Amino acid sequence: MPNPGTERTTRHEIAIRHIAGPLDLDVQFTLDAPWTALFAPSGAGKTTILRIIAGLDCPNSGRISFHSNRPPEPPRQVVYLDTSAHINVQPHRRAVRLVAQRPALFPHLSVLKNVLYRMPALISTGEELHSHDPQLESILQLCRITHLTGKMPSQLSGGERQRVALARTIASGTGRLLMLDEPFTGLESNLRDDLIQDLKAWCQRTGTPVLLVTHDIGEVFAASAQVLRMESGRIAASGPANEVLAEERDSLIRRLQR
Amino acid sequence: MESQALWLTLRLAATTTIILLAVAIPLAWWISSGRGPARAFTQAILALPLVLPPTVIGFYLLVGLGPLTFAGRAIIHILGHPLAFSFAGLVVGSVLYSAPFAIMPLVAGFQAIGPEYVEAASLLGASPVRSFFDITLPLAKPAVLSAIVLVFLHTVGEFGVVLMLGGNIPGVTQTLSISLFDQVQDGNYTAANHTALLLIAFAVAGLAIVYARRPWRQFA
Repeated sequence: MPNPGTERTTRHEIAIRHIAGPLDLDVQFTLDAPWTALFAPSGAGKTTILRIIAGLDCPNSGRISFHSNRPPEPPRQVVYLDTSAHINVQPHRRAVRLVAQRPALFPHLSVLKNVLYRMPALISTGEELHSHDPQLESILQLCRITHLTGKMPSQLSGGERQRVALARTIASGTGRLLMLDEPFTGLESNLRDDLIQDLKAWCQRTGTPVLLVTHDIGEVFAASAQVLRMESGRIAASGPANEVLAEERDSLIRRLQR
Repeated sequence: MESQALWLTLRLAATTTIILLAVAIPLAWWISSGRGPARAFTQAILALPLVLPPTVIGFYLLVGLGPLTFAGRAIIHILGHPLAFSFAGLVVGSVLYSAPFAIMPLVAGFQAIGPEYVEAASLLGASPVRSFFDITLPLAKPAVLSAIVLVFLHTVGEFGVVLMLGGNIPGVTQTLSISLFDQVQDGNYTAANHTALLLIAFAVAGLAIVYARRPWRQFA
């Protein structure tokens, strides 16, 4: 049992105000749990929030900061975005990872080369890679893509592409925050639950917090995540899944029993 | 005489292609990476050789690189001779005159690549320059090939700028197209026919390379 006083704690503090077309976002939240699920109906602006945190989009106004506390070192703060101070750190300098909803696998590279693209040990050596590296092998296994390494992205199904995209992101070093934008859509539910459990173990080991965006209750409960529930562009509720999503779960169960 | 002109033409076309590609790739990347008046204006200026008579460009280069202007005097001071009527002068003229044939396919090629690939690379921690070399450039390979072939062919086939800027000095500035003009002037139609056929062969072979390549398949 690690001593809570010496354990590393990290948190992201996020405040975003953004109006674009029909979208009207005004959200403030803190990410400090190992897994947080942002739960909202489709079209509520979840993807926009992730893109803003990643640095791909800039909101009308907002502030995003990362706080790390690892005693005895002094606490550290990194500001990614502060519109009032004209700070907007470029995506590749934020050390924030995002697995996008539509996996943009590099079409000219094989599955293996996609996964290896930013794998730290391999960037420096630049060697021709083999799938015998233990780290690489465990990532391929975790994402269930060991049998796909020789294929090109165009030969994969939608679910396979998503798993390759996930593997590519994990291989790049998970960074300060791993964001998953509906990454398990279209996966069979047993496979999905197994994958979530393995991913949880992986992230716990590497100490990476996860922000999962979904409109699938099953995913939230499988990950036993903290939940941020969004309604019409605002955070309506936050807390453990069985509190915040009790109503949804009950109505789902009622529907299943009928 | 004929082989001298052929060798000179190939040397000119190869030099122009290499220089132009080195300049046009970063420029086309910049143009295709956003919008705005600066980009539109640059693109318009670079496309001018498409619509202006080559003699206009040749004339202004002749004057601009000569002793009448500050730039021309500086060049003469540095090189010891004016750029006009020299091989280097021809290279300068060809680079400007063939610029649209490099810029246009490259801009179109870069713009055709969805932003999601570069975004994905940046989310993996790759800097914009890194992802340009790893992702954008390989995906734009057909466009780069088109630019290479078109610039090369266009330089082989240019006449007006070469005549204005280079004159007609065998072994120095007399390219195949100028040599053809000379042969016709002399009434030597057999030699002219050989030269013309050689130029056609170049064009057909080069264009076949461009069109034989299937465009990059788009992946969903």
